[in-house]
Amino acid sequence: MKYSYNWLQELSGTKLSPEKAREILTMHSLEIEGMEEKKWNFDGVVVGKILEIRKHPNADKLQLTKIDIGTSSQPSPYKGEGVLDIVCGAKNIQVGDKVPVALVGTKLPNGIEIGEAEIRGEKSFGMLCALDELGLGTDHSGIFILEKNAKVGEPAKKYLGVEDDTIFEIKVLPDRAHDATSHVGVAREISVLENRKFEYDFDGLQFEVKPRVTRGFTSNLLKVKIDDKKLCFRYIGAVMENVEIKDSPSWMKQRLEASGIRPINNVVDATNYVMLELGQPMHAFDFDKIKSEFPISNFQFPNPPVGEAGKSQSASWRTKSKVQIVVRRAKDKEKLVLLDESILELNNADLLITNGETPLALAGIMGGKDSGINENTKTIILEAANFDAVNIRRSRTRLGIKTESSDRFEKEIDSNLAEKAIVRIVEILEKIANAKLEGIIDIYPNKIKPCKIKLDLEYVNSLLGEIISKKEIIRILNNLGITTTIQPYKVVCAVPTFRVDLKTQEDLIEELGRIWGYEKIEPRPLVEPVIPAKINEILSFERKLGEIAVGFGFDEMYNYSFYSQMDANNCGLDGIKHFELSSPMNPDQKYVRVSLVPNILKNVKTNINNFESFNIFEIGKVYWPNNNAVEEKRMLVMTQVLEKDKGAETFYSTKGAVESLLEKLGVSKGSTFGAPKVEPLSVFHSSRSAEILVDGEKIGMIGEINPLVLGKYKIGKRVAICELDTEKLLKISQKEIVYKALQKFPIITRDISMLAKGETKAIEIQKLIKKIGGNLILNVSMFDIFFKDGVTSFAYHIEFGASERTLENKEVDEVMGKIVAGLEKELGLEIRK
Amino acid sequence: MLKEKIENLKKQFLAEIEKIKPSEEALFELEKKYTGRKSEFIAILKSLKDLSPQEKKQTGELANNTKNQIWEIIKNKRQEISENFFDAEKEKIDVTIPGKKKSVGHFNPISLVRRDIEDIFTSMGYEIADGPEIENEWYNFDALNIPKDHPARDMQDTFWLRSQINADGTRKDADNFSMRSQTSAVQARYMEKNKPPFRIIVLGKVFRKEATDTTHDHTFYQFEALIAGENVNVGNLKFTAKEFFSAFFKQDVNVRLRPSYFPFTEPSFEFDISCLVCGGSGCRVCKNGGWLELGGAGMVNQNVFVSAGYPRNKYQGFAWGFGLERLAMMKYKIDDVRLFHSGDLRFVKQF
Repeated sequence: MKYSYNWLQELSGTKLSPEKAREILTMHSLEIEGMEEKKWNFDGVVVGKILEIRKHPNADKLQLTKIDIGTSSQPSPYKGEGVLDIVCGAKNIQVGDKVPVALVGTKLPNGIEIGEAEIRGEKSFGMLCALDELGLGTDHSGIFILEKNAKVGEPAKKYLGVEDDTIFEIKVLPDRAHDATSHVGVAREISVLENRKFEYDFDGLQFEVKPRVTRGFTSNLLKVKIDDKKLCFRYIGAVMENVEIKDSPSWMKQRLEASGIRPINNVVDATNYVMLELGQPMHAFDFDKIKSEFPISNFQFPNPPVGEAGKSQSASWRTKSKVQIVVRRAKDKEKLVLLDESILELNNADLLITNGETPLALAGIMGGKDSGINENTKTIILEAANFDAVNIRRSRTRLGIKTESSDRFEKEIDSNLAEKAIVRIVEILEKIANAKLEGIIDIYPNKIKPCKIKLDLEYVNSLLGEIISKKEIIRILNNLGITTTIQPYKVVCAVPTFRVDLKTQEDLIEELGRIWGYEKIEPRPLVEPVIPAKINEILSFERKLGEIAVGFGFDEMYNYSFYSQMDANNCGLDGIKHFELSSPMNPDQKYVRVSLVPNILKNVKTNINNFESFNIFEIGKVYWPNNNAVEEKRMLVMTQVLEKDKGAETFYSTKGAVESLLEKLGVSKGSTFGAPKVEPLSVFHSSRSAEILVDGEKIGMIGEINPLVLGKYKIGKRVAICELDTEKLLKISQKEIVYKALQKFPIITRDISMLAKGETKAIEIQKLIKKIGGNLILNVSMFDIFFKDGVTSFAYHIEFGASERTLENKEVDEVMGKIVAGLEKELGLEIRK
Repeated sequence: MLKEKIENLKKQFLAEIEKIKPSEEALFELEKKYTGRKSEFIAILKSLKDLSPQEKKQTGELANNTKNQIWEIIKNKRQEISENFFDAEKEKIDVTIPGKKKSVGHFNPISLVRRDIEDIFTSMGYEIADGPEIENEWYNFDALNIPKDHPARDMQDTFWLRSQINADGTRKDADNFSMRSQTSAVQARYMEKNKPPFRIIVLGKVFRKEATDTTHDHTFYQFEALIAGENVNVGNLKFTAKEFFSAFFKQDVNVRLRPSYFPFTEPSFEFDISCLVCGGSGCRVCKNGGWLELGGAGMVNQNVFVSAGYPRNKYQGFAWGFGLERLAMMKYKIDDVRLFHSGDLRFVKQF
């Protein structure tokens, strides 16, 4: 919210510079997010006295004037001295008037630069100014006449009713929104920080509390009824008559504008002014538009009109229709046209201000169009009320309206504020609208009382970690308006109702800490015992996986947890139930991911033009609904794109990464890759993908991306990807490493190559060799493979060795013979000699 | 007498070295034979002690010179061997040609910062806790003293999930689920299962429905610390933060607390650190203020302890929550938060 520093100074009496005030408020109270100087510039505009007015010889609408602007002892960049001839169009001037004169060389706020001019043959050396020409509103009805005792030749600025100001932009958080979204609230903070008690509250209003504005005072024209006392805690209605609707005075407009509120007319402005000053939202209804005539016999006035106020109103009391205000819940589907002309359809949860029948305003949120103030308004009803914060919040959220008023009510304001506000606005409208108070009705069923908190002085010091003296504690509390009663080791605090947020000891300790100064608290090492921390296994495992992947040359991706419905379709994930965001950033981010793959494909797309080959990985969670619960799974995805791929190198490269990873985790021994049944619309290539199994349990998938999917993402290269379930990986990799004795006896290596027709798989050959060789075989590894004319050629190294003796060549030859025979017989392979 | 012996030895050496086929081994043997510990030469030197001082001086000098000459000759011979071993001219290469690089991967800077933080806090005895990224209303809000309809819920724009509907149109989930808007949800889960004293950190992904720009993203990482015991105070918070940030940024960092409001802490603070560039004297980076805003902190609200099942006012604790990206941006001078999730390798490969 924006605050006028002039206003804050007036209320708090501070003499601090705006910079200093900003600093102390930020460090001790509220964060000032911005500060802006508002300077009025009327350089070159001086007070002139009209000496003579003549008709312009060549123009009926113009006049020639002689203006005395005196002599200046100061050198000035503006031209003009003594008596000037100025041509003027306005008719509202008379000889002897003091007027603002823009001298030659002046640049006016509206951009006009004044020069010597010749108008229809008559010379003119300057300009007499109307308000709009000075940037002060829109009034162009005539030259602005200055006060009689304005001094000729002086800068006109001091007579124009303008003040230079500094605007604070203050970030008010929800806990202080009930009091600090007002100038009084912030002024109170400034006073406390200057070690003074703030005087501006109800008991000490700076203007006189008029005796007639007290409880029990009544109105002859208004009756108020609260139907729902749970939603409306208090309703004060004041009737003012003889209202003159016009522009507000300049000082009021300036303050509203400083706070970012557009001036409209004096009545509406006054409601806003009081809200900005005190924090109480207000509303004004046009009495005559409320039209709720009700038979006088039904209207039981508690007190017949008496005294001076009563007498002055006796005329209207007979002739005017009477009005009642009823605060009630809306009926289902009841309609209301708001001030901004939008039409609302309401329900029973919304609270209305009505005339007993038709709705006048959406309580605490916005007024209705039909009862609004306009230039013909003569009699008004002013509302200062308080409503249930939660209900206001629900209504305005559901209806999608947010106003200055709802902002304040939904933060729970003090019910006692309403009477201060009504006193204030009555006083203001008497002055600026010549209005007369007819009467006030105040319905306040349950009066709010100060809340009491027992503050343990030991606790203050123990929580802050510094000792604040008892004297200082009492002083700060008292400055905040809290009354204190001292008991042994304790202070009983009565918190004024305007501080709705102070409910617990900790709340008070915060007040003490911030005002005393957090900067005085010294850093202190903990005295709590240090207990060796438990290791978070899954997180440290993920960390290890990351290290392995980076070691293999993979770069780490962080992706959003969302993708679009289209992504789910593209990647064949539409069969899986997704969580959806109820209001996503945009439709592309609507689905909550069940797989890391779609976003990884987007990463591929992002990088494919910048890099010929790349390896990327991501470690993250996927989520899906499972009945009434949420399933979350941790995944690792590794993806590769190679510069060239002729013989499924991309697939085998990624497979190699998986194999190495499993080896590093000590689980390669039980791992197998089995070709799964892949649906044609799957993200995986139907004939180039495999399930990754460890000891028969599936821990993930590996494969090329389905070319159809790649086409949808406009990726022109083969992409291989593996998806691993990290929690399963952790479970199987938890075995400790067991050292195996180094091979002591020599190893004999034999090579064998063979030709296979048809579908013989590498794994079958390898398995058979191992089976035949038994425990004499230490290792079998493929060193060559090629395909020609439908025939595959495989070549293997076979390592033989025994753990307790040296093998003889003869023995190895014998085994090799069995292997050759076995391969020929069982797999029908042709062994190359 | 001795002089002659020395001269003879020298002659003998020269004759022998001409005769042998030069090789490392042969030269080693020769060196051992003539100047080694058990050589005749050493014997001669040992016998010097029986001579008159003048003779001792003369003979000693001669012996030393001869020994040095032998060494010199052997050294030259060695050099000859190595020079003739290969043709250096033919072997010559251009060493300025770029090397063959090893393929090495890169961590996203979020991971780097995360690791640093984990290491520093683990060394201070903190446990690393974690929890679900999709949370129910209780853990994300109510347990943290943010009841339904509380204005504080507006402080974080939450990504709510659409409720799951049964075939008959009834609502399936009993809880309102949302993408967690803060790692503090993990606090509530941890406290349910553990009793003070404890100290934990939580590093994790959080989600807020906020317009994105160079300093805001709807998905980001939070770094939360929580410590609870019987005597934890604001001074401890300041100390811990100061120690951590000094270690993290590898320079002396001061911390500053300003009043703020969070529902889960009371008192609550805005947390600033002294500018990393100027150290607090004011510069362009800190807009002359000398301080950098970092995030929120505070003393755990008693209502949060009560929600966790602890008795009111038995324990005291502090907590903070900072953005990991902000720390990474400060550390690596990154100027756009959206880069972390951009998937652009030109970014990731720099780390």
